[in-house]
Amino acid sequence: MNLNLSDNLFGFDEVDSPGKRIFRTVFELFIVLATCYLAWVWGLYTLRISDVVLPLGFARYIDIAFMHGNALPIWNAGIITALVIAGFFRFGKWSYSTAFVLLLFQYAARFSLGEIPHSANLVGMGLMGFALAELFYPDRLSRSRFGLGFSYFFIGLAYTFAAVSKLVASGITWSDGRHLWMWINEKAVDEIARSGFVELNFLQEIVLSSLLLATLFLTFGLLAELFAWLVWYKKTRYPIIWAIFGLHIGIWFTMDILFKLSVVELLLLGLPWATWIDKAMSSSSNTP
Amino acid sequence: MKDVSLTKKARTIISSVLVVYALTVAVNLGEFWPFSIYPMFSQGGNPWSRALVREIPPGDVITWEVTDLNNLPGNPYGVASNGVDAIDLANFVSKTETWNTDRVTALSFMLLGGGESNKQLQVFRVQAYLDEADSVVIQATPYLVVSRDANILSPSIRP
Repeated sequence: MNLNLSDNLFGFDEVDSPGKRIFRTVFELFIVLATCYLAWVWGLYTLRISDVVLPLGFARYIDIAFMHGNALPIWNAGIITALVIAGFFRFGKWSYSTAFVLLLFQYAARFSLGEIPHSANLVGMGLMGFALAELFYPDRLSRSRFGLGFSYFFIGLAYTFAAVSKLVASGITWSDGRHLWMWINEKAVDEIARSGFVELNFLQEIVLSSLLLATLFLTFGLLAELFAWLVWYKKTRYPIIWAIFGLHIGIWFTMDILFKLSVVELLLLGLPWATWIDKAMSSSSNTP
Repeated sequence: MKDVSLTKKARTIISSVLVVYALTVAVNLGEFWPFSIYPMFSQGGNPWSRALVREIPPGDVITWEVTDLNNLPGNPYGVASNGVDAIDLANFVSKTETWNTDRVTALSFMLLGGGESNKQLQVFRVQAYLDEADSVVIQATPYLVVSRDANILSPSIRP
């Protein structure tokens, strides 16, 4: 097994194939579309914000109130959209990086009410990866390879960080199933606040009635995150991505939290799409 | 043959990003989007605080007593019906230390959207903890009532 991290992440010396090219292009397109989605969703929501409760990111250094009470978030979303489309079609060297900076403002304006979300961090890191690739890699092939490898690296790091944070804050007893009971109730209150009502699903009912099952759920989640750095290596990439995917599905069913963009990104990265595309193309070209 | 320059450049970029990552999260309490130490759900078993809203029909007496989720006054009201994020509401309520006029008006604006609504909404802070019997205890404390005509703060909340 090749343990060279650069080879595993970027594969600059690998023979390229149509399947790999298509896969990398689709991944970059996902980052572009997800960026547009975030820019518009955040921008539209910012229109109803009129006060800063907890400044985040850039807002800790500049007064982000200038983005509130006017149409600036909408203009910003439009400019970000134009820039990432330009970046995707390779117009200009600064398209993605400018879009990234503007997205930081969009984030700071939207999340000034106290919520500190993590659902869009992977997309943000993905955009940063392609922005850096655009700046430092002149040729198309190495640029897309770097952008993809950058995401692999920071996905592995992000989930591993999450596990370390848990162990530092709570120790090994973080997996105590009673903690999951607290979170299920917390999310139930969120659902009451959101819709006015809540009805626990079958899995939530079972987990709330079994301390052992609740503890096993948390133990699986912690282990999946703790070994997320295995995403960095080709041989272990798919199994660990599927473990993380399972973690997200578990969070969805027990706590009703679905990081949609992260789940789609994991589905893109957790299956051998390039190999499948190459096989499909070779079998169709061999067909008489 | 290995392309050393591409690999070396990648290592340099990743190393530089890691340095910026470490510095920004270190001086910004672990969060500088998209960098983060991902502390969500790291504090297992700690008490939590959220918020919810009830619609109080006209003519109903407004009460300010702490209650449980089964005995909330008024009728169910979902903030999503007015495009509000429940987490934003929870953070707004729990992280506000001083309920001055600006803060109350901002919450009223968030929930009622500028005054077209004729609803009377009571906002509760909901807190929970694990008791000695390992049960989750949940209590709802009324904080304020917002309406088109007036906003009323609970007598127990510091203005």
